[in-house]
Amino acid sequence: MIEPDIDESVWGARAGGVAALERELARMRRSMGAHATEQGVPVARASVLNLVVFTTRDTHARRAAATIDVLATRHPSRAIVVLADRLREGIAPGLEGLEMHCHLSHPAGLQQVSYEQILIRARGDADQRLASALIPLLLPDLPVFLWWTETPSLDAVHFAELLKLADRLIVDSGDFARPDRTLPRLHAVARAGHGRYGLTDFNWTRITPWRELVSQFFDVPAWRPFLDGVTGIRIGFAVEADGREIHPSQALLLIGWLASRLGWRAVESLAPSEAGGLLFAMERGDGEAIQTRVRPRYMRGIDEGNLSGLRIQATDGVRHAEFVVKRVEDSSHAGATVVIDGAPVAERLVPLGTPGVSELLSEELTIARSDSIYEDALAALVALT
Amino acid sequence: MTVAPPLANPLREGPRLARTPQPCALVIFGATGDLTARKIVPALYNLALQRLLPAAFVVVGAARQPLSSERFRENLHADLVKFSRTKPINEDAWASFADGVHYVSTKDPSGYDTLRETLADLDVRAGTAGNRLFYLATPPSAYGPIVDQLKGHRLTENVRARVVVEKPFGHDLTSATELSGKLQGVFTEDEIFRIDHYLGKETVQNILVLRFANGIFEPIWNRQYVDHVQITVAESLGIEERGAYYEQAGALRDIVQNHLLQLVALVGMEPPVSFDAKAVRDEKLKVLRAIRPIAEEDAKSNVVRGQYGTGFIEGTPVRAYRQEDGIAPTSKTETFLAIRAFIDNWRWEGTPFYLRTGKRHPKRTTEIAIQFRAAPHAVFSEEAADGMEPNALVLRIQPDEGISLKFGAKVPVQGIRIRSVNMDFVYGASFMVDAPDAYETLILDALRGDATLFTRQDEVEQQWRFVDPIARAWAAGRGDLPVYPAGTWGPAEADLLIGRDGRAWRKP
Repeated sequence: MIEPDIDESVWGARAGGVAALERELARMRRSMGAHATEQGVPVARASVLNLVVFTTRDTHARRAAATIDVLATRHPSRAIVVLADRLREGIAPGLEGLEMHCHLSHPAGLQQVSYEQILIRARGDADQRLASALIPLLLPDLPVFLWWTETPSLDAVHFAELLKLADRLIVDSGDFARPDRTLPRLHAVARAGHGRYGLTDFNWTRITPWRELVSQFFDVPAWRPFLDGVTGIRIGFAVEADGREIHPSQALLLIGWLASRLGWRAVESLAPSEAGGLLFAMERGDGEAIQTRVRPRYMRGIDEGNLSGLRIQATDGVRHAEFVVKRVEDSSHAGATVVIDGAPVAERLVPLGTPGVSELLSEELTIARSDSIYEDALAALVALT
Repeated sequence: MTVAPPLANPLREGPRLARTPQPCALVIFGATGDLTARKIVPALYNLALQRLLPAAFVVVGAARQPLSSERFRENLHADLVKFSRTKPINEDAWASFADGVHYVSTKDPSGYDTLRETLADLDVRAGTAGNRLFYLATPPSAYGPIVDQLKGHRLTENVRARVVVEKPFGHDLTSATELSGKLQGVFTEDEIFRIDHYLGKETVQNILVLRFANGIFEPIWNRQYVDHVQITVAESLGIEERGAYYEQAGALRDIVQNHLLQLVALVGMEPPVSFDAKAVRDEKLKVLRAIRPIAEEDAKSNVVRGQYGTGFIEGTPVRAYRQEDGIAPTSKTETFLAIRAFIDNWRWEGTPFYLRTGKRHPKRTTEIAIQFRAAPHAVFSEEAADGMEPNALVLRIQPDEGISLKFGAKVPVQGIRIRSVNMDFVYGASFMVDAPDAYETLILDALRGDATLFTRQDEVEQQWRFVDPIARAWAAGRGDLPVYPAGTWGPAEADLLIGRDGRAWRKP
């Protein structure tokens, strides 16, 4: 797909090359500085990181830019948005190549902090060229976060080239077309990155509250023994009413997490009983079987792919218990319930919002190293699928 | 008083799930009081919103007033509407939290038996399993009787119990030791959490991060490079409704003995080997011990006090201290203090620490300024260097949290002219991020049993050892009490105190 021309009212004026672009940014900083001095507020240029965003669609690029705007005060950065055509053919001769735009942005209502946003528009086959344009634009000695929107092109040259520059790769498996295929492959990427870059996934961040709630059950000494006797897991995730698009990544990550933390082994992946569902046979360290079922569910007020509920069935040898976290329909809450031998023993309602992309990104930008727990979860998924 | 540590939870591993405490019953004494309403319950509710409270968590309020649990919950809800930092109230989340809230009246000693039974019942029913945190949100005079009753009614036997107390920790060394003796009759020092809410502030913790997470500041953080240090804790408020307390305490006991000396400790301490309760507090104690005592007879030359008179705050006329409610017209209580202090150790020998605090200043500000020595040799002509000042690193604690570094730069003209510029780092908290309230941080830490940000008894005692002789000097009639107009930075005597050394107060 060939994207349209650049809207300069959004991305700023075109600059003819890296040096011209830096000159233009310096000029803008100066004029802003002069303006601010008149008002007695000095402008600080603070930078804590470089953020490179890779997109192939204009709409994604604009959305990413808006997200970064929101974050500018918390994570002052130089943001470089790369907008590349998805199709590399059919570019008129002479138009192939890179084009750069830049502007200074004032996050809403703030006069004291500014940050720089640069757009690199890559037309046609830019595989070989992208890194060469990015390297001189990166602020020296600051970490580089590479945020890849959509499914990462794991085999592409430009993916490998950009990854070489990055200290951290951020993806969103919620955007993956086939997460059950891409997630295991991502594990190889994470493993290869050891010591060079960390890998993270917005979907992993999205399930942090779920992991928190599940962990909290087993902080309670009376319930802790059940964790060694899990017999079944059911996980629900949201789908659209028509049920056509299936995004089980969060559910898969949650299973991978439980399996890796609790030392479960995969036995086999069974045929799903219903469309979009998944069924696994796993076993615990002591050889007992765990039935694991993942099913899509339509629920109002939940974005597709988000978890709708989780049920852990377990025994301590004498009693049977169920630990349930269930999203309340049309509400930003979840119920967390414990049932032992059929009788509810604890029930509470906890806030469980759906964080937006800017909140997720903000959270990820605070973590500078790789998350071994996530990598373990991915490794467990590889064994399952 | 110990129970077997619970089985480890393998799901807890990793960087993201570390902060939820173990299941716990929080018992609040003074449950119908101001502190509970303004600080404790709003903090707990906001922790619940962030899912930071354990799955098994109950609150038991205790106070003299007879009250049903339902009524108690209703009262707390009304307070929450007024005092929560996040609004509107999430009623569903509150209702679920309130399910775990109970009330026991301790008007009669038998109330403590009821309390014990309630807690034992909740240990099984709610799953709190013998883990208790007693929060004494009462006047200090009640601490002794409460812990006696806790012991007498076997509330701390065969459970894991800790206690949280609030300042003031006594009014002098003797009373502080006595108070702590009371607490230590029932709890070990490791189980006592003394709240100095200043230490819960993000920016105060940031002092330690700035100093010990950076390699470039520590080498110059000493007498060789630092000319002097100024610490200012200024308020624009008067004493509001705290007349009776303030009249007894004054600025010395209200601010200097705790907050100000804690700031001195954080700025002056040696690097701890790790960020844990023992290492950090050991180092703070060491530097507190090294502060040169100001003897009674020296108080006059090293300490200036003052009391605010009438004046204006932001254009509004305000009353003098002696006209405030509950204050004697002849009151001798100080509302301002300036101290010239020294730390007698290898790092700080001869480097003065100028401390000042007061009420009814032109604005509210807390800052720490490290004033560096001037460049050793004047390279540039006197004329060029006219605008040059020594470097200063300023840590602004509140408001406008941040750090600024002042350095000289060449003015871009032909020839050399030098001006000082401020390089500002504005802490995120002043913008988008809703920094956690100090009480949320501290209550969460107490629930987790992490005492790093709490004051240890030996620190408290050391702080009194510094303060007591000054109080005695005044009691003996040494030292004047000049009046400064409200809305100014204090009496002229304070300017003389620092001016004698050839220095001047910063304009914060």
